[in-house]
Amino acid sequence: MIVPSEGVVDFCNWLQNTPYALAIAGSTWAYPFVQTTHFTGLSIWLATSLVVDFRLLGWIGKSYKPSELAKSLFAWNWIGFAIAVVGGASLFSTDAVAFSRNPALQFKLLLFFPLALIVHIFVQRRTMKSWGAGDVIPRFAQLAGLMEFLLWLSVASAAANIPYFERFL
Amino acid sequence: MWFFQWLENTSWARFADDNLKVATAFEITHYFSMFLLVGSIIVVDLRLMGLIGRRRTIGEVSAEFFPLMWIGMVLNFFSGFVMFAGDATTFAPNWVFHIKLSVICLAVIFGVIVQFQARKWGQDESTQIPAWGKGLALISLLLWVGSILAAVEVPSLTNVG
Repeated sequence: MIVPSEGVVDFCNWLQNTPYALAIAGSTWAYPFVQTTHFTGLSIWLATSLVVDFRLLGWIGKSYKPSELAKSLFAWNWIGFAIAVVGGASLFSTDAVAFSRNPALQFKLLLFFPLALIVHIFVQRRTMKSWGAGDVIPRFAQLAGLMEFLLWLSVASAAANIPYFERFL
Repeated sequence: MWFFQWLENTSWARFADDNLKVATAFEITHYFSMFLLVGSIIVVDLRLMGLIGRRRTIGEVSAEFFPLMWIGMVLNFFSGFVMFAGDATTFAPNWVFHIKLSVICLAVIFGVIVQFQARKWGQDESTQIPAWGKGLALISLLLWVGSILAAVEVPSLTNVG
């Protein structure tokens, strides 16, 4: 576990005492609604990302080109991402100090998530420009698609472990 | 109730529930497959409502996403059943869990209707989606988002799960 610096703890303390965070944390209904927002955004984000990865890997729909697929889903892919980030930040704000010390969340936000995002942007750009335009998908593109899939799986694994660590903090 | 007691005490249910790593693996599968399932159906629903990728036909969009939806559904139901079995006597009488299952059943029914209609409308590129078709897609979308809400309400309202 990374021990957060004093500045980070002060920020988290301020964050979890903002009226917005207190309103979510103190309401029976607001927290599940924010969770639902986060999960709905994640669903759109992951489905529109993984369908391109799976197409690169040749697991689905060989009748259309990956570049067309990536271009047509681009906008909703990032809309899903924005919804997920807003929902996630709101969830974090409700108990920011404890969350900042949670090793599973640290793994998710500091390691797997940035890596997955970088690989996603790389795969998306290359698929729209060169990888997905031809009839043959390069071996490297397939590997990148598989890597992105595994990285998002790692993000989900770290996220699923967050409640287990909450009990020990 | 005897059935749920029996189910909870089966060797595989105990193995899946008592072993932290196995329980976490099922939880990850459940969440990840839910994202695939809900995300796929939402994209098709949005396309039917005319809010997404109008340059692509409904037939193309549904051909891209329905395999993902069915993979997600099978994995989600399997992992969900194993997770339920480990705590069957706690979940079975839970009223919020009943609501969750009811909403999911409705969402699946509407999802299947959407898939059937999308295939029909997708055969001809010039087909205009009727207003009731857009309404059907909106109901399907709301039911799937509602199923997530119902799922997160189970621990929130009843401290179960």
